[in-house]
Amino acid sequence: MTSRDVHDVLNLPSDHSGAPRPSKKQKTSAPRPNLKGLAREVQNLGGDNPIAIVPEVNFFKKRRFASRKPVAKWELKAFTNSARGDDGALVLRHWKRKTDDGAPVEGAQDGEGQQQRGEGTPASERKEEKPDDSAFAKFNVQVVVPHYTEEQYHSNLQNNDWTKEETDYLLGLAKDFDLRWTLIWDRYDFTPRPPGGDGANGDTSTAVVPAPKQRSMEDLKARYYEVAAKMMAVQKPAQYMTRPEFELYEMMQNFDPEQERKRKQFALNTMSRSKDEAREEESLLLEVKRILARTERFNEERRELYNRLDYPATDSDINSFKSSAGLQNLLQTLMTTDKNKKRKSIMPSEGVSPNSAVPNSAVSETNPANRRESIAASATTNNHARHDSDVRTPATPADPTPTSAASGANKKKGGSAQQPPERRKLTQQEEQVYGVSYHDRLGSGPTFRYEKINKLYSHKSGQQQLRITNALSELDLPPRLVMPTATVTAQFEVLWGAVTALVDLRKISDRLDGEIKIEEVKKAERDRAKRILPEKEKEEKGEGEKAKADGGGGCGVDGEKAGDKKDGGGDGEKTQEGGGQAKEDGEKKRPGSSGSLTAAGHKRSASVLSAASDKSAKRHKKQ
Amino acid sequence: MADKKANKRIKSLSIYRPFIYGTTARPFDPDRNPKPPGIPDDHTHSWEVFVKGVDDTDITYWLRRVQFKLHESIPNHVRVIDAVPGKPFSLKETGWGEFEITIRLYYVTESNEKPQTLYHHLRLHPYGRTEEEKEEMKNEDGGVVKSWNYDEQIFNEPYESFYEILTTGAMPPSMAGTQKGGKGGGKQKGGEKEQKVERSEGGVLARSAMIPLTNRGPEYPFSRETEQCEIEKLKKALVKVEEMTKKTKEEMEKKEKRLKELKAEGAKA
Repeated sequence: MTSRDVHDVLNLPSDHSGAPRPSKKQKTSAPRPNLKGLAREVQNLGGDNPIAIVPEVNFFKKRRFASRKPVAKWELKAFTNSARGDDGALVLRHWKRKTDDGAPVEGAQDGEGQQQRGEGTPASERKEEKPDDSAFAKFNVQVVVPHYTEEQYHSNLQNNDWTKEETDYLLGLAKDFDLRWTLIWDRYDFTPRPPGGDGANGDTSTAVVPAPKQRSMEDLKARYYEVAAKMMAVQKPAQYMTRPEFELYEMMQNFDPEQERKRKQFALNTMSRSKDEAREEESLLLEVKRILARTERFNEERRELYNRLDYPATDSDINSFKSSAGLQNLLQTLMTTDKNKKRKSIMPSEGVSPNSAVPNSAVSETNPANRRESIAASATTNNHARHDSDVRTPATPADPTPTSAASGANKKKGGSAQQPPERRKLTQQEEQVYGVSYHDRLGSGPTFRYEKINKLYSHKSGQQQLRITNALSELDLPPRLVMPTATVTAQFEVLWGAVTALVDLRKISDRLDGEIKIEEVKKAERDRAKRILPEKEKEEKGEGEKAKADGGGGCGVDGEKAGDKKDGGGDGEKTQEGGGQAKEDGEKKRPGSSGSLTAAGHKRSASVLSAASDKSAKRHKKQ
Repeated sequence: MADKKANKRIKSLSIYRPFIYGTTARPFDPDRNPKPPGIPDDHTHSWEVFVKGVDDTDITYWLRRVQFKLHESIPNHVRVIDAVPGKPFSLKETGWGEFEITIRLYYVTESNEKPQTLYHHLRLHPYGRTEEEKEEMKNEDGGVVKSWNYDEQIFNEPYESFYEILTTGAMPPSMAGTQKGGKGGGKQKGGEKEQKVERSEGGVLARSAMIPLTNRGPEYPFSRETEQCEIEKLKKALVKVEEMTKKTKEEMEKKEKRLKELKAEGAKA
């Protein structure tokens, strides 16, 4: 036990001599064993800093190569580089290590053989002529540039801004420069060929040479990606692509040159700003951050304040709390409100208390005595509040149970209300795989694709249906589509429109035919009348005119003529014609039977048609 | 109650599933299709009516039950087939006459949709628009008569829970992280996922709305290839119709001219 220990025990400050002693001991003890052959006294001369003495080492380094293998042999070997694309015309030589096993041995032996045999046989020379391919040739990777045929270009890749020649040129450059866009852009120098004179030199001087368009790198990229994406889709519909393929496809499709341009502009701006500007920007950013943080804190405080203000309504009847049971009740109520408050502060609501507190207090005022009723009522008001504005229910002083129930319901509702935004966003590929699409107007509920075509039919009259089906079978189309997919039905609708137009045209054409026939018959009648009865005509002229004067009401002199008129009236469409016909007949004094005949003909055809339409209607129903 | 309220229809969204329904009939034949005992003498064919997925994929995740209403003369003529996962809804019968089968589709309860009805004419005898077609069918595979229809079940504005069912299962759920990740990493991950995905022989993902790319024999006649064929056909027909319309228009013009002439003549006389 030393005095130091005593000091320690008494918690006294240690004096000078006590403290340094142990540390000195420690220090000196460490380096001592390291230095052999040195007197302790000499070493102590250094005091705290030991003397820097490097011990002399008096033996040689170890041999590096323990095993004495024969010296490795190297040879000068010729090689070609297939990446040069000159078919091995250039043969260079380099030193290569000769190994004892595998393929190179052959070469080595060959070399030796050649040496031994002097000039050697031609066979060995042949072998020598085929030098190895350079090990670096494999790094010459060619970029795969989309290819298209003339037809594919016309059906898919038309672009107002780009001619096919220029597109070809772009793709050629892309291939040449391995898609290094800066290079492509730098070398891009497309001069469109003059439209007229191709080869003739004389023409070019006079022809108007369209000015080459200035293309930015983004333009070039946009066009290239457009072509590549479209060709990808042509080769493989999007929903059959593997995931990486589709990602590439989507990326190329979504390339936005404008955004790219802006990005570069931004980058340029950032690079070119001065130090002061940068500093200012930084400080501004800091400022914004601070402001935001402050508003957040402020909001938080305000919210808390509101929550504090949301006290249980006290203007209700206090009679219920006068008994011990009532007091118990009150305690529970307070506890639940407390809980509610906690929840409220966790999940802050947007439209706060005043809104919801009012109906509650009103209810409890109106039904102070009947507890049960107030339970129900408060429950309902809670529900209302829930509907009005998504408010967490305030505590009801009347009874704790409804509030907890309501808040439970609220929680549920809150959960479900949050669901819609949680609906997964599908990627484009997923949408295609799952057959999801968006439309403006939809009748909700399940339906079938073919239903659309059925509707097309059912919107037409029976007669038209028959005509259309006839026209379709004329076109050698089966009565039912084989595969009513979305595209097929769309195509069918186009066809349907054309066919209905055709059918309508035919109808009009048929009517024209009928009219022509009438006119022709009339003409024949006229001719006959002119030839055979020129005299009678004169006689009857007077009579006819009288009939006309009678008013043409059908009570004409001529029985036949009256009948004529009636027929005309019977045929809906031909009323006018019939009338006109009768008039003409009257004028011509030739009560020909032709009118009645044609009218009857019309009638018959109409009845035939209606019968046909009945049939078609039945047929359709069956389908 | 609360559930229903939460389960809202998704506006302006439509989702579809391809499926096949139809009948396959084969005549009784002592060699190829012997008549089992207990079948009335006048029955001439055995036939099957079915509703199934394209490429025999499972459709029971959206279709719960199918009711086939057969001809009244058949005992117990309303038959109900409940879903067995992975199996088509099919019904085998024998008979001698053709009639219309009413097929009623009941969707899974999650869909909250009402059942829908399809009508299909049972074909026992070769049919076709022309004699050659009939002849061809007659010679096919021992007189088997197939009348298969492709259709697509469209669910317009499905309920959310049903939408969830219809848009899961074919692929692993998309993760935003992998898409934005490095190209190499993404590729590798994609490859792993691809292996997990379940595909039918024709390359159709399970629980998807896909149809196979190419035809694989007479058992699988519905594919993109067939669709393309049909579109081509329709396009050709459209061209033809346009030609016909043009011709008719020209003729009409001529006719109108003639009519005018005739009328003028009539007026003159």
